[in-house]
Amino acid sequence: MANGPKFCPPMIELEDLAKHFGDVKAVDGITLTVPKGEFFCVLGPNAAGKTTTIKLMVGLIRPDRGAARVAGYDIQAQPLEARARLAYVPDFPFLYDKLTPWEFLRFTGQLFRMPDRRIEEVASDLVPRFNLEPWLHKPIESLSHGTRQRVAIASALLHDPEVFVIDEPMVGLDPHHARVVKDTLRERARRGMTVFLSTHQTSVAQELADRVGIIHRGKLVAVGTAAELHARAGTDGALERAFLAITEGEQETVPETVG
Amino acid sequence: MNATESPLGLLVRVNALSAWRRVLGLRQQSRLLVAVIGGFLVGYLAFAFLLFRLGLAFIGRFPGLGSLLVERLLFLLFAFLFGLLLLSNLVICYTNFFRNRETAFLITAPVPISAVFQWKCIESTLLASWAFLFLIAPLLAAYGQLNRVPWHFYPATLGLVLLFVVLPGIGGAALAIFVARWLDRRAFQIAAVTGVAVVLALLAFHLRPEPASDEVLEARVQSVIDRLLVNTGFAQSPLLPSYWLSACVLNLAEGAVKAAGFYALVLLSHVLFLGRLALIGLGGPFYGAANTVQSRASAFSRWGWWQRLEARNLSTAAEIRRLWLAPAGPGESCGAAAHFGPVDRLDRVLRWAGLATDVRALVAKDLRVFWRDTTQWGQTVLLFGLLAVYILNLRHFTRQLDSAFWIGLVSYLNLAACALNVATITTRFVFPQFSLEGRRVWLVGLAPLGLVRVVLLKFWLAGATSLCLTLGLTLMSGHLLGLEWQRQLYFGVAVTVMTFTLNAIAVGLGAIHPNFRETNPSKIVSGFGGTFCLVLSFFYILASVIALAMGSPWGWRGEETGPVKPMVGWAVFVLLSVLSGWVPLRIGLRRVATTEL
Repeated sequence: MANGPKFCPPMIELEDLAKHFGDVKAVDGITLTVPKGEFFCVLGPNAAGKTTTIKLMVGLIRPDRGAARVAGYDIQAQPLEARARLAYVPDFPFLYDKLTPWEFLRFTGQLFRMPDRRIEEVASDLVPRFNLEPWLHKPIESLSHGTRQRVAIASALLHDPEVFVIDEPMVGLDPHHARVVKDTLRERARRGMTVFLSTHQTSVAQELADRVGIIHRGKLVAVGTAAELHARAGTDGALERAFLAITEGEQETVPETVG
Repeated sequence: MNATESPLGLLVRVNALSAWRRVLGLRQQSRLLVAVIGGFLVGYLAFAFLLFRLGLAFIGRFPGLGSLLVERLLFLLFAFLFGLLLLSNLVICYTNFFRNRETAFLITAPVPISAVFQWKCIESTLLASWAFLFLIAPLLAAYGQLNRVPWHFYPATLGLVLLFVVLPGIGGAALAIFVARWLDRRAFQIAAVTGVAVVLALLAFHLRPEPASDEVLEARVQSVIDRLLVNTGFAQSPLLPSYWLSACVLNLAEGAVKAAGFYALVLLSHVLFLGRLALIGLGGPFYGAANTVQSRASAFSRWGWWQRLEARNLSTAAEIRRLWLAPAGPGESCGAAAHFGPVDRLDRVLRWAGLATDVRALVAKDLRVFWRDTTQWGQTVLLFGLLAVYILNLRHFTRQLDSAFWIGLVSYLNLAACALNVATITTRFVFPQFSLEGRRVWLVGLAPLGLVRVVLLKFWLAGATSLCLTLGLTLMSGHLLGLEWQRQLYFGVAVTVMTFTLNAIAVGLGAIHPNFRETNPSKIVSGFGGTFCLVLSFFYILASVIALAMGSPWGWRGEETGPVKPMVGWAVFVLLSVLSGWVPLRIGLRRVATTEL
C-alpha cells in the first residue's frame, strides 16, 4: 500500500452527509475528507450505503442533511463547476448503443468542452492502453460487457478529471484489463488525480488504496490505512480479516436497493 | 461536432445520429419482411385516407347541415386527441425523466440541468406525438381533397400540427414533474383519485344516453342533431388549443387566410410563451423531482395499510429465516409462516391437477411478474376496460339492435375488437418473453424442464389467461345483443381459436426473432420481429373476421342460409388459424430446440 500525499488540498469533502429512503437510513451522517492525489477505497457489505454515498457525492440525489464538495465546489450549489472537475463511472455505465466507441469518446470530450485536437491527443494514449483499437469503429451494442466497461473508463478519463469516482470497476474485466485499469488509476493518482473507488474486493483495496473507509449500515465505521484498520480490529495479514472483524456480528437489515 | 457547440445541440446531434443508425439497421433485415411492413404502413395510410374521404363525404351530404357536422367532427377529434396527447406525454415524460439511464448519466456530466431537461422534453414530445401525426395525416389529406384546397394548405397544416404538439408536450412535462414531486403525499393521492372520479362522473352525466322515440328520429331529425351539437359544444371552447388548430385548418380550407393567420398566431404565441417558460423555468423543479423519485421507498409508504403490509412481509421474512436456520419440528414446514396469497392458492389447485413442481414454479413466476409489473396489468386493464365499457353501452341501442343486420354487424365487429385487443397485448407482452427468458438461460433454460417446454408452457399460460378476458367479453357482448345460445357458442369458439392463434403468433415469432441483448421488453417489441408480429396478427384478424362474417350461418337480412357457406367460412378460418398460428409456433419451437444461447 502506497503512502498518501501530505498537506494536499481536500478534493472530496463530505460533511455529516445523510440520506434516507422512507424509514431506511441509507447514509447516516458520513463525514470524510479525501485530499488531492489520494487513492481512497470504500468497502462495505451489500446494501451498506456505498452507492448512495457516491450518488450524493456526484449530485445524482440530494442529501437530507449535510453537504458534499468536490474540488472545493458544493455539488448542489455549484454543480457545473464541480462536475467539470469530476468523472463518475457507475457499476453499469450508460453508453449510447448505436454510437461507436470513438464517437462516444468524442461526445464525452465535447460534453466537457474539450477541443477536437485535444480529444484526439488524449484518446491516442487511452485507446491503445485499454486495447480498444479493434472495437473503435464498431457499434457499442456489439461489444462485450468488459469492453463496454473499458470504453466507459477511458471516456471518463478523457477530460483529465481532478476527482475520479468509480463504482465496482473490476466487474466484467479480465485479469489483463483489470491490471490495466489498476495501473492507470494508480498512475493518475500519482499525477494528482483523486480516486474514490467503491468495491467489495478487499484485495483491490489492499493493493491500491492509500486509505480505506468501511461503510456499514450507512455509517462510516472505520477509516485509515490498512495498518490502522488492522490495529483497530486486532488483526494482521489480509485486509479482509480486518474488514470482517470490524463488520462482524452485524445483521443486514437495509434493503438491497439502497446499497 | 465541435467544442463550442451548446450541450443541447450536442445531445440532439448524438441522439439523431443514433436514430439514423437504427433506420440504417433495417438494411440488415430480410427484404421480404421490410417490404411487408412498408406495405402495411403505406396500406394503412391509403386505407385510412379512403375511409376518411368516404366518411367525410357521407356526412357532408347531410341536407343543410353537412358542413356544420364535418366542422364539429374536426373540433371534437382534435379536442380528444389533445387530451390523449396530454396523457401520453405525461406517461412518457415520467418514464423518460425519472426512469431513464441517459438522464442519470447526463446529470453527472457538466451539462446544465436545464439542458438535460430541454433535451428530455424534446425527446418525450417526439416519442409521444409521432403516432398522432401518423393518425391525422390521412384525415387532413382527405379533408383537403374533398374541399379542393390549394397546395399550400398541406405544408401549412403540417406546420400548424407541429406547433400544436408542442403544447401537450410542455403540459405533459410540467404534469410529470408535478406528479413526481407529490406522488407519495396522501393529500395528493386523495385529490387525484377524487378529481378523476369527479371528471368521470361529469362526463358520464354529460354524455348520458338519451332515449329517442321513432317519431323523433324519423320526423324531427333537426331536433336530434341540435341535441347532439349541444352535447359536443365543449369542443368549441376558444380556450382549448385544439380549437385554435381546428379553426385555423377550417379557415385555411375555406380560403379565409386572415382568420387562419389569426389562429395560427394565437397558437404560435402560446407555443413561444409557454415553451420559453418551460424550457428556462422547469430545469430546477425537474432536478428536484428526480431527486424525490430516487429518494422515496414507495408511493404508498405514508399509508397505514402499506406500513402494516411491509411489517407483515418483514416478520414473514424473519420467520422464514428462523425456520430455515432451525430444524423444522414435526408438522412444521419452512413455508408455513409465509403469506398465502392468490398465486399460492392457484399453485395448490395446479398441484391437485397433477402439474409437476417445475411447471407450477414457472406458472407462479410468470403470474407474479405480470402482477408486479404495473405496465403489463395497467395496459391490459385499460384496453379491455375500454372494450368492456363499450360493450356494456350496447344495452342503450335497443332500437337499432332489433335489426338482424345490425346485430350481425355489431357481433362480428365485437369479435374483431376483442381479437385486436388480444393482438396488442400479445405483441407487447408475450412476444418478448422468449428473448427475456434467453437472458435468464442460466436458470430457466438449463433447468430439467427444457427451453422448448418453457416456451410451450408460456403459450398455454398466456393463451389461457387472455382467454378469460376475451371469452368473458364475447359472452357479455352476446348476452347484451340478445343472441341465442347457439350464436353465443359460435362466437365463443371463434374467439377461443383466435385467442390461441394470436398467442401462438407472438410466442412463435418471439422465438424465431429473439433479441437476447436487450433487457427492456418495449425495445424488443419495437424491433423488426415485434412489428412483424403485430402486422401478421392484424392481417389474421381481418381475414378471419371477413371469412367468418361472409360464411355466417345467420343471414344478414334474416334470410335462411344453407350449410355450404358456413362450412366454407369455417374451413377458411381454421386454415388461416393453422397457417398463421400453428406454423410459426412449430418453427419457433424447432428454433428454440437448436438455438445457441
